[in-house]
Amino acid sequence: MNTRNGDAEALSVRFEDVSKHYPGADAPAVDGLSLEIPEGEICVLVGPSGSGKTTAMRMVNRMIEITSGDIYVGDRSVRDRSPAELRRHIGYVIQQTGLFPHRTIDDNIATVPRLLGWDKARTQARVEELIGLIGLDPELRSRFPSQLSGGQQQRVGVARALAADPGVMLMDEPFGAVDPINRERLQNEFLRLQADVRKTICFVTHDIDEAIKMGDRVAVLREGGRLAQFATPAGLLMAPADEFVEDFVGADRALKRLSLLRVSDISLWEAPLAYVGQASAEVRAKLEGAEVPHPLLVDSERRPLGWLSERDLEREIVPDRPDSPAEPRLERDDVMRDALSDLLQAETQYAAVVDHEGRIAGVLSIEIISEFLGSGEALVEEHSAVERPLE
Amino acid sequence: MIAEATTWLAPLVAQGDFFTDRSEGSATECVAENKTVCLGWAWDNADRFVSPTLEHLVLVGLSVAFGFAIALGMAVLSHRRRWLVPTFTGASGVLYTIPSIALFLILLPITGRGNVTAIVALTLYTLQIIYRNIVTGLGNVPEAAKDAGRGMGMTERQLLWRVELPLAVPEIIAGLRIATVSTVAIATLAIFAGAGGLGEEIYTGGLLRDVFKTAIVVASGIAILMAVFFDALYIGLQRWLAPWRRVRAI
Repeated sequence: MNTRNGDAEALSVRFEDVSKHYPGADAPAVDGLSLEIPEGEICVLVGPSGSGKTTAMRMVNRMIEITSGDIYVGDRSVRDRSPAELRRHIGYVIQQTGLFPHRTIDDNIATVPRLLGWDKARTQARVEELIGLIGLDPELRSRFPSQLSGGQQQRVGVARALAADPGVMLMDEPFGAVDPINRERLQNEFLRLQADVRKTICFVTHDIDEAIKMGDRVAVLREGGRLAQFATPAGLLMAPADEFVEDFVGADRALKRLSLLRVSDISLWEAPLAYVGQASAEVRAKLEGAEVPHPLLVDSERRPLGWLSERDLEREIVPDRPDSPAEPRLERDDVMRDALSDLLQAETQYAAVVDHEGRIAGVLSIEIISEFLGSGEALVEEHSAVERPLE
Repeated sequence: MIAEATTWLAPLVAQGDFFTDRSEGSATECVAENKTVCLGWAWDNADRFVSPTLEHLVLVGLSVAFGFAIALGMAVLSHRRRWLVPTFTGASGVLYTIPSIALFLILLPITGRGNVTAIVALTLYTLQIIYRNIVTGLGNVPEAAKDAGRGMGMTERQLLWRVELPLAVPEIIAGLRIATVSTVAIATLAIFAGAGGLGEEIYTGGLLRDVFKTAIVVASGIAILMAVFFDALYIGLQRWLAPWRRVRAI
């Protein structure tokens, strides 16, 4: 990563027995929170309202003062730093974007570099770089925030937080005010961006699906600001610590687990292959003891053409146009949940999975998926799937 | 105090060669009949309105400028000390309710006759409107913008000057517009403080001279034009300082 802006190195964030007591309140808003976010990871704080997730996040940059305990950014306690200085080195993204309505997009993005006293040329260069990074039309640079769509505004909010290349970013429901379709897009874009910039991110949401999608780790908080569970998304879905987490994660946690996986993450079945022009007898022989009871017709490049039926095999030579096409056709990079959905939609048991060249890579069946969900095999390490942007 | 005022008003009434002016020039007949407007007379006597107009401009300009400076100071002071707001609003409100001629007379023993008294009084009158508008404007700044500003490491002072005041510009200018227009009107009373301005023509030239209507109408017309002129100035100022307000939001 570039180090010319000084901050580029991601820093860990460590909560040590952090509590927040608001004056006049009976119960603490955050109660003895301890957790560590390793460098370059996204930690999502999730929980119902009143669980202190936003309070916990805002104590990192001292927007809210810590009552007891301490938070370390890198190896420095946030208490030892002046709030303004600390905040200039921590990216800050909020739900309502908080863009300054009276400043152009360029000027909004340049906010922190200017506070840090960067010279004009350096600021300008950085703004241009960020506009490219978030994929914003350069024509919009001289516009005011109200002239941008909600999604564009949110991208600018992220760019502004990244402007001085901070080691740590705080994101408070950053995609909460965007419609579902755009939210999905922004989430994916952000994961792609994060794969590139590798910031340490403290991300707050009340949406468990978003938490599972975005987090390398998820901290589930319960009312009263107590940590209920701190785990990887897969760990959370596999083994909820208690009833509260189980309820919060939801009854559909099995399905959610599928959204963490790609087709390539589980072992597929092998289909008996039939080549165009092959004798039916040869194909029949392959069916003996095969995992998939139907032969898959492929061309000379091993690209699936369709499933052969019993009637197709009654001919001497297999036909080059089988009765049932090879639908649905999945790719190895497809997310498992989408793959299952395709299978169900096509009302079929089996789906051919192809690689990037369109060649057959294996067969996915509903049976594989249900076995997989039943056993929960090796799920924890499958977490790798979400680190790559989904799309 | 009132007695004192009459003593200084008296010589004012008696001075000048106004009657000769009225009987001269091409519009003698109109003037003799004291019609509502004698354009001919006004044209012939345009000169006599020049320096009252300039004096009036100076009175209004300085009063609003001082008023703005003081009100801004009050607003900045009370911005992070909310308990001061009712105090300042109340105090400027009380000042605003004092009848203007009374205020001139109250100030006379302190500041003496002349422009100073007029400007002090006019300045005090602008405070209420300008202060309240600045406070309203600062109050309308979106919370999210303030939160983002602080969260990115702005100090309270930087937040005020770089975010809050710029965003309050439309309300502040709205306040200045009202304050200026009303000052243009009230400044016609500055004559009672011994200052100049268009009041000279309205009172000594018009009312006190057998109610000479043309002088009153012309002076009032100039005051109206002046108000319109200032208004246009503020519209330009707003366009310049708050360009984001003009853009078409999507």
